[in-house]
Amino acid sequence: MIELTNVSKKYKNGVNALYDVNLKINAGEFVYIIGATGSGKSTLIKLLDGEEIPTKGTVKVVGTNVGKLRHSKVPHYRRNIGVVFQDYRLLESKTVYENVAFALEVISMPKPEIRRRVHEVLNLVGLYDKGKMFPNELSGGQQQRVAIARAIANKPKILIADEPTGNLDPEMSIEIMHLLEKINREEQTTILMVTHDIILVEKRKKRTITLQSGHVVADLTQGGYIRHDNT
Amino acid sequence: MTILRNFVRHVRDGFISVARHAAMSLSSASAVTLTLLLIAIFLVVSININSATANVESTVNIAAYVDWDFESDSEINDIKSKIENLEGVAHVTFSDKDTELNTVIDSMGSEDTKAVMEEYRGENNPLHDVFIVEVTEGSKIADVTSAIIAIDGIESADYGGDSTLVLMNVLDRVRFGVVILVVSLSALAIFLISNTIKLTIQARVKEIAIMRQVGATNGYIRAPFVIEGMIIGALGALIPIFVTIFGYIWIYQETGGFFLTRMFSLMPPHPTVLYIALILLGIGVFVGLIGSFMSVTKYLRWKR
Ligand SMILES: Nc1ncnc2c1ncn2[C@@H]1O[C@H](COP(=O)(O)OP(=O)(O)OP(=O)(O)O)[C@@H](O)[C@H]1O
Ligand SMILES: [Mg+2]
Repeated sequence: MIELTNVSKKYKNGVNALYDVNLKINAGEFVYIIGATGSGKSTLIKLLDGEEIPTKGTVKVVGTNVGKLRHSKVPHYRRNIGVVFQDYRLLESKTVYENVAFALEVISMPKPEIRRRVHEVLNLVGLYDKGKMFPNELSGGQQQRVAIARAIANKPKILIADEPTGNLDPEMSIEIMHLLEKINREEQTTILMVTHDIILVEKRKKRTITLQSGHVVADLTQGGYIRHDNT
Repeated sequence: MTILRNFVRHVRDGFISVARHAAMSLSSASAVTLTLLLIAIFLVVSININSATANVESTVNIAAYVDWDFESDSEINDIKSKIENLEGVAHVTFSDKDTELNTVIDSMGSEDTKAVMEEYRGENNPLHDVFIVEVTEGSKIADVTSAIIAIDGIESADYGGDSTLVLMNVLDRVRFGVVILVVSLSALAIFLISNTIKLTIQARVKEIAIMRQVGATNGYIRAPFVIEGMIIGALGALIPIFVTIFGYIWIYQETGGFFLTRMFSLMPPHPTVLYIALILLGIGVFVGLIGSFMSVTKYLRWKR
């Protein structure tokens, strides 16, 4: 599903954000990406959704060589990938329903289908009764769930979450985690989650990729932040 | 179905956006208005000058007078073919001196003068046989004239003086100037509209970012902005169109269809004004399209 081969990324200003990264992520996996600030996590995500082009190596996602994608082909490719950010990025002037529907309207989905799917995903994220509310009437956790609903509305094969719980308290973070796991399970969506939340990573163990100064320094299938040699 | 629905949505969004940024839209529409007013004036002037020039060009002929010693049929035919072979000559007509004299006599007012002129018929005819030469282009008239004078058996040749030539040169230059001005004014309007659209884009960056994130195509993102630009351009064309239609009809009625002399007759308003209106609307919409297209494309290119 995702395959990075000898990928390096150097920004125009000379900052080298990733060095010789090799990664393989299969369909249906749920993977954490952790690492200190500036270690290259967001850069990795930008390479995956085609926003940035690798300086060296190839990034292959769902059979597409993302780095070689022409500018005009990026939009269609991107329909394979849903992205969620720490700051939700909802449109304040639109209701919850409209925010989710917007993502489907702009890719020209027929209206009845939009209505059906929006109700479906709002149900999935547990906001079926909040459709008419505006983002500023919701809690942070609820807003993030709207953002997740919007990201998965088009049934992307991959959901990428860049610190989705960064602004949330531990309780809400756990709720979001449950939701992501449910999406992973019920919609068979491959999930990559960037996080700083070590407690969360320890609590709900999954495959964990650790970045440090642009290098992959650990890739533990059994999960956990530090090597657990004792258990 | 979907295409139609998208189109309706984009047009609606375009109008909403024009209304929302009314002040901004109005200011760049008025730039279009100003530009198109100037273009309208130049169009009116240049269309009329064009037809006047065409008139002048078609009426200016060279008269080549044949020497009295070269009046035999074979000599005349020889000279005629020499002239016809010159570069820039479109058509040559021969008129002998008897015909010329008849023309002169016919143009005389009083019967007395006519009687006097009759004396000159036959051997006493003081006129020359003449070739009337039409040139392919007005600008070649001087060259062709000197080439004709150089032919054996031509006594003299003239084309109604240098003033015609000067006039035609001036008109040529005016025409050239109009093109330059129209192009640069359009460029200015394009610039102003693209700046307005840039501001509209700025007001919607978040929306655009989300559209890109969820995979809306560049064309879909671009459409409402381009339509907005076209609407602004069309709005800017309204005043110039009305000014041209009513202004031109008024001028035509006031002047009786002529400008200064009988030689410069004005084009009748009926089809002319409609063509100009269409051209103005076309330029307005096109300028809006180009300006907004440039603006969005530049923005979309900047991010992947
Ligand atoms: N657009 C850019 N242009 C230039 N340099 C950049 C750009 N984006 C990121 N960088 C640099 O690349 C390095 C990696 O940045 P990145 O955003 O990938 O880190 P991160 O792991 O996501 O950090 P954080 O945890 O703070 O979000 C940093 O040194 C950063 O300054
Ligand atoms: Mg980051």
